This record gives sequence, structure tokens and C-alpha cells, in this order.
Amino acid sequence: MAEKMENRKWKIGLFRKLWQGLREWSGDAAYETYARCAARQRGVRVLSREEFYVEQLQKKYSRVSRCC
Amino acid sequence: MKRLLGILAWVAVAALGALGLGTIALHRGEGLSATWFVLAAACSYLVAYRLYSAFIAAKLLALDNTRATPAERRDDGRDFVPTNKWVLFGHHFAAIAGPGPLVGPTLAAQFGYLPGTLWLIAGAAFAGCVQDFVILFCSIRRDGKTLGEMAKDEVSKRGGTIAGLAVLAIMIILLGVVALVIVNALKSSPWATFTLSMTIPIALLLGVYLRFLRPGRVIEASVIGVALVMFAVVAGQWVADSPAWAAKFTLGGVTLAFALIAYGFAASALPVWLLLAPRDYLSAFIKAGAIFSLAAGILLVRPHVLMPPLTRFVDGSGPVFAGKIFPFCFITIACGAISGFHSLISSGTTPKMIQREGQARFIGYGAMLLESFVGVMAMVAACAMTPGVYFAINSPATIVGATPEAAAATISSWGYPLTAETMTGLAHAVGEQTLLNRAGGAPSLAVGMAQIFSSTIGGERLLSIWYHFAIMFEALFILTVLDAGTRVGRFMVQELLGRVWKPIGRMNWYPAIVLSSGLIVALWGYFLYQGVVDPLGGINSLWPLFGISNQLLAAVALVVATTILLKMGKLRWIWVTLVPMVWLVVITMTASYQKIFSTNPRMGFLSNANTLAAQIAAGKIPAAKIGEMQRVIFNLRLDAVVTAVLAVMFLVLLVEAVVQWHAILGRGREAKLHETPYVATAWVEGD
Repeated sequence: MAEKMENRKWKIGLFRKLWQGLREWSGDAAYETYARCAARQRGVRVLSREEFYVEQLQKKYSRVSRCC
Repeated sequence: MKRLLGILAWVAVAALGALGLGTIALHRGEGLSATWFVLAAACSYLVAYRLYSAFIAAKLLALDNTRATPAERRDDGRDFVPTNKWVLFGHHFAAIAGPGPLVGPTLAAQFGYLPGTLWLIAGAAFAGCVQDFVILFCSIRRDGKTLGEMAKDEVSKRGGTIAGLAVLAIMIILLGVVALVIVNALKSSPWATFTLSMTIPIALLLGVYLRFLRPGRVIEASVIGVALVMFAVVAGQWVADSPAWAAKFTLGGVTLAFALIAYGFAASALPVWLLLAPRDYLSAFIKAGAIFSLAAGILLVRPHVLMPPLTRFVDGSGPVFAGKIFPFCFITIACGAISGFHSLISSGTTPKMIQREGQARFIGYGAMLLESFVGVMAMVAACAMTPGVYFAINSPATIVGATPEAAAATISSWGYPLTAETMTGLAHAVGEQTLLNRAGGAPSLAVGMAQIFSSTIGGERLLSIWYHFAIMFEALFILTVLDAGTRVGRFMVQELLGRVWKPIGRMNWYPAIVLSSGLIVALWGYFLYQGVVDPLGGINSLWPLFGISNQLLAAVALVVATTILLKMGKLRWIWVTLVPMVWLVVITMTASYQKIFSTNPRMGFLSNANTLAAQIAAGKIPAAKIGEMQRVIFNLRLDAVVTAVLAVMFLVLLVEAVVQWHAILGRGREAKLHETPYVATAWVEGD
């Protein structure tokens, strides 16, 4: 029984890691990463999710981001 | 004991790789199973990664995990973001993997499967991966500086300017060529044209969703988008079956070219969140899915490669593009073996996100190996169809004829049996009116992919759906290169013109945006248009031009890398970057010379122009066609000038670098490096 529970926990852990990896890869988790970082810096206004989204896109597509 | 077992395991991997390479090199006769290609490639990559990349990491670069990376020192959650190495590998791979490793090997298959496959594997291991890895390392040590900035700092100011101009020139040629690949895939195909058209409203819908309804929720928006795109693929069949709707979506090459030019302008001038970004999200998910599906399909189906190892066209008389195996095989397959464009990614976002220097090996070298594997899979997919069908799809009408009967007769006379019924039957099976004369690589790759996919799921019944799925996948991510490239090109044009008149350089001033967007689309649109009206199909002229420029950019990157390594005092190991650099100089200069001066009109721009001019002078061209021919002559001469300018630009940079190397070696001591000072990492091992 304990082994089964351990196995289940391991599977859930793996799934969480994969899901988090997918979110980070796709940019889905970018705002949370930014908000965590911004919270550590004093005197810096934290951008809203929408402001951050637009700012990131403008930066990304002003330099070579896709290859041939 | 453990060490001995490890050594034995690696010896076994190397032996398997050698067996695979030997088999694909020496096999003659009946079709060869794709398993051998997978085995040869995978084992070679494993050995290259385990030995060569480890050697470069330890001896040449001396990667230092105690040194804080820019992502650690400047962590701001925006530009500098420490990122898990697997996630960053995915990011980097998604950025470097474009249509190049799919289209290049497909075109190079005209030489047979062997030269392209060997170049893909060896070129990646000894040149492409080295370039990506070393440039990534150099950029990490310089706070994520770009290739142009590093060229300016480490080679010379002029070197930086040349690198910047080379990037812009290559971008223009690249965009023209990839747009031509889409045009050749969509022309006279209502199903494919409808499906791709539908991705525009779908992207707009996602843009509004991601901006206003659920800002930044990329996964849920992408799930909706991918479902809608899949529906559009299926709905395309209903459009193709309806005479009224099919007529609306059956477009010729010139119309499609202007539609793409208008699209590129819109994507560059409209807010980035509205069209460009949501299309990129869609493309990223579909690209990842299609590449993994192709790999899985090849492993499951294990198709037989029917193309011979070497065809008669190694002598330079190939119908897809003219030119001998040397240097044109190495020019045609750029991405997949070595691509200069990758150096822009390796000196772009990736160095700002890497957690430790040691991870540069896995991300820089490893991601390029994976891209090379994509190239090998594309080669397998293209060579899995009968050679006759391959040549019928990829050859221009001026060479094989415009009807199935004419094409079958010509191609059969070359020794590759083909019947008219085969081509009409195949076109019918994939839901197209014709598959003839579709140079560019995309349709033949789509046929290959569709045959592999349908052997796994659905059989013949789903062949047409799989074909149009493959076309949509290729076109979608070519469009992503097109719109993202147009926008970056617009910024470069604004920056350049801003030096002459400041207001043009203001990135938010709408007249400047419209003017610079118009200029950049006009530049690549010109190359696209000349490709569409070219009697030889366009790809014959433009793909080699793109290959030359891309490989020249790789040579620029390796010149910069060699200079930095010399400054670091790594003279003993300098051959690691110097040898691939010399190889690239030899192939690009030979190809440039042949493309400009060859007396063969199919190969040399000038001799082709002179032949056409002589035909006009001799009255062999009908009066109605003279205007068109004169435009073709002008285009050919322009291509010769562009090729020459690119070659001269590179040679100037090379001379600057050689002068610099001479000075470094003459001094006998380490020269001034522009690295950021050493800061010890605050992260404990395992962070």
C-alpha cells in the first residue's frame, strides 16, 4: 500500500514538473517568474499581467528570435 | 570495473554508428531501411556529444561553473531570467529549428541520399554544433552581447558594421526564398490556400484573447488555436470539393506572392500582440508536434529509402537546381549542418537565460545535434518516395514539361521510371489537381510525411488530410519566419535610416513604421517576385543564393569565435573553429564564383543573362515575351551583384580579422578581451 502511494506521489511529482516545464517553455509562466523577481526589488513598480505581456512581446520581436 | 563498462558501452555505440554509416554508404540495389539512417545518426551524435563536445568544453573553452552567468548576476525577471536547462534547451531548439533543415535536405536529395546525409551528420558534429556552442559561450562571457557587437569589440569596428549589414542582407534574401517555398506549395491548391488563410483570423482571435481576455495565458490560447487550425485543415477539403469556393481559393503564383507581401507588411506594421505573436505560439506547438510525430512515424513505419545513394546529377546537371555536388550540396544544406543564423540566436536570448556556463555544452551543442537529426528525417522522408515522383514534383516545367505525360517521358529517360498515371493518381490521392513542377521542397516533403503518417494512422483514406496537415505545418512556420523576420528587418532599416534622419529611427512613430515596413517588404518581395516569374522556377537561383549568404554568416561567426579564442591564448586548439571556418570560406567562395561566372547558363547568373540577351538579339523570343525576358535578365544581373557584394563584405571582414590575428600572435601574449569580469556564483551546486 505504502509502495503504491509512493509510486502515485512520484507520478504526480513528475506530471507537475512536466507541466511546469511546458508552462515555462511556452511563456505561460513568464509573468509569475517576473512577479517573483520584481517582488524582491524595492522601489520598482510591478507591471500588471497585461502590461508585462505586451512589453515582453515587443522586446522579443524586435530582435532575431526565429531562425530559418 | 564501472569505468571499464562505461568504456565498453561507448565502444559499442561507436561500433553501431560505424556499422550504420558503413551500411548507408556501401548499400547498393533495393531500398534501404530508414532504421540504418536513424542508427547512424543517433550513434554518431552520441559519440560526438560524449567526446568532441566534452573536449571543447574542457580544453578549448574551460567552462567554469563557479562563474556567475548574466542570468544570475542581472536577474530581472524580464531579459535576464535564470531558466531550467531543459526548458532553455526547448526554447533554444524552437528558436533555431525553422524550415531550413526540412527544405535543404529535401532539395539536396537530387544528388542521392548519401552526400546530404553524411554532410548533415559530419557538418553538424564538427561545424554547426561547434559554432552554436562557442558563440553561446562567448556571448555568456559578454553579458549576452550580439554577434555584431562582439565582432565590433573583438575584431574591429568595421567588422561589426559588416556583420550588421550581412545580417540585414541575408535576412532579405532569406525572407524572399522562404516566401517562394510557400508560393510553390500553395499555387493552384485551394485546400492548402484555404487552410493557411484561415490561420490569419485564428491568430487574430488568439491575439485578442491573449491581450484582453486572458493576458499571457499562452497554453489555453494555443490549445484553442491548434484545435481551430486542425478544423481548418479538414474544412479545406470541403472548400476544394465545392466548385464555387475552390475557384476563389485557386490562386496563381503572382497573386500569392502579392498576398504574402501584403501579409508581411501587415505583420510588421500592426501591433505585435495582434497577429505576429499568436501565430508564433500556434506555430511553436504545431512544429514541436509535427517534428516528434515525424520521428515517431519513421521509427514505427521504418520506410525504405528508394532514392539511390548517388544519382547521375552529382555532375551538376540536376533538374531541381544546377551545380555539382561540390560545393552545392554543402550550400543547399545549410541549416541542419551549419547555419549562420543560429549564431544570432546563440548570441540573443539564450545567453541571458542560462544558469551555469557548463550548460552551454548541452544547450549549444546538443540543440544543434537535434536540429541535424530533423534534417536527417527530412532526407529520409524525401528519399522514401520513388525517385521519379521526387523529380516530377521538384523540377520546373521548362525542364520536364508541364503535363504528366511529358514529365513521365523526360524523367523516365533519365533512368528513373515514372508513368503519367502515377503522378495523376498521387495528386488525386492527396487531394490536389497536380503535383508537378512544385520546386521548393515543401510539397515533396509533405508527400513523404503524408505517406509515413498514413502508414501509421488512417491508411490511404487519410493521405490527403495528412498531406494538407504537412503543408499547413510547413507553411505555418515558414510564415512565422516571414513575419518575425520582416519585423526585425524593419527595426534594422529604421536603425540604419535613423542615422541619416533621426525621426525615422523612432520605433513608435507610425509614419516611420509604415515607411520602413514598406521598404523591407519591397526588398524581400522583389526577390520573391523574381523567383515566381523565373522560367527555371526561382528555387534554382534563389536557394543557392540563400545558402551562400547563410554559410557566409556562419563564416563570420567562426571568424569572430577564432579571434576571441586566439585572444584567450588557445592557439593549440584553434583548429576547432579554424578548420570549419576555412571549409566554409572554400565552399562559399567557390559557389559564389560559380554562381556569378560559370559559363553554364543554368548555373551562372551572368551567362544565363547573356544567353537570354543573345536570344532576344537573334529574334528567338516572341515580341510579347521580350519585356518579361528583359526583367529576367535584369534580375539575373542583380543576383550576380548581390552575390559579389556579400562575398566582398566577408573578405573585408576576414582581412580585418587576419590582421588582428597576426598582431595577437606577434605580441606573444594574451590580447585584450572584452569579457565581463569574473564574479563567483552565489548558487550552490545543484541550484
